[in-house]
Amino acid sequence: MEVFFLLSSMVAVAGAVLVVTQRVAIYALLGLLVSFFGTAGIFYALDATFVAVSQILVYAGALAVLFLFVLMFASDDPPEAGPLVTVGARKDFDPAAVKPVEARARPRLSMPSFGAALLSLAVLALMYFAIYKLPPRFGEFGGVAPQTQVHKTNPRPGEPLTEMVEFGSARGVGYAIFDDFPLAFEVVSLLIFAAILGAVLLTRRSAAQSRAEQEAAAREGEAGAEGAGGSHA
Amino acid sequence: MLNPQIVLFLCATLFCIGLYGVLSRNNLILMLMSLELMLNSANIALVAFSRYWAGKGLDAGSFSGAHSGQFFALMVMAVAAAEVGVGLAIIVALFRKRHNSDVRAASELKH
Repeated sequence: MEVFFLLSSMVAVAGAVLVVTQRVAIYALLGLLVSFFGTAGIFYALDATFVAVSQILVYAGALAVLFLFVLMFASDDPPEAGPLVTVGARKDFDPAAVKPVEARARPRLSMPSFGAALLSLAVLALMYFAIYKLPPRFGEFGGVAPQTQVHKTNPRPGEPLTEMVEFGSARGVGYAIFDDFPLAFEVVSLLIFAAILGAVLLTRRSAAQSRAEQEAAAREGEAGAEGAGGSHA
Repeated sequence: MLNPQIVLFLCATLFCIGLYGVLSRNNLILMLMSLELMLNSANIALVAFSRYWAGKGLDAGSFSGAHSGQFFALMVMAVAAAEVGVGLAIIVALFRKRHNSDVRAASELKH
């Protein structure tokens, strides 16, 4: 398990380094995906099976795809250059000057920003120092019994007060969610509902906006038809 | 046997890589990705402490409490998902107005 932990942590760190150094947004996203899978491996090595599975489901399954959609929609380069282009603002952007992706010489890695590097290294040193100074009695992870009992807070009439569950299993975590912290669970559902509403409201076009866009498109279409007719004649 | 300190060192490393990403990038999407890295590292720490509790048997033979860390990790995941949903919606709305996703283009609250 130790070897598995070390391997997954190396994968996670490598993916994270890709995320912060890659200039190409899609490659950074792939690094993020690699890092998520590494993190799932770390969770598995720490006997948190259910969390590992939900990590893959939620992050790699849903979040990465969402990122991919927005990346393809909101990339700063013209669509004919494809998604594998650099991101970042270019005020002097000229679509005519864009060469095909292969032909363009672009830096693969972004330049390190020294202020950011300095600050994060300082935070890293501080955290390392604090962790290094942990009391020795902190020791090691002990072994986990294959099955241990949980106390139910709200057993149904006639049910036993305790149950044997495996550590990190869906059953055990389920008791934590619905027995120990039901209020937090409800509040999180409210939060997600608010987030859905917020996302819809933020991305919705107003009626006036879409009408203006339609009119602009219709005008362009007419102009294009006239132009085509003129050239034909 | 695995050491909690090693796991915490790993968490600190991942957190600071994410911090560097948030500080050094100009693109909102890439900043959001680095933010996900930071949340992930916090999750690893929570799960590690949960595992530590289970190993020490702090609850004398039962671990009703040992799953709390994993529960918090799941909550962090839910919050991260909500945050990314709203964040990406903001990026899409910003992109409609400014036609790029650079933070420096969004220096005004009014559009």
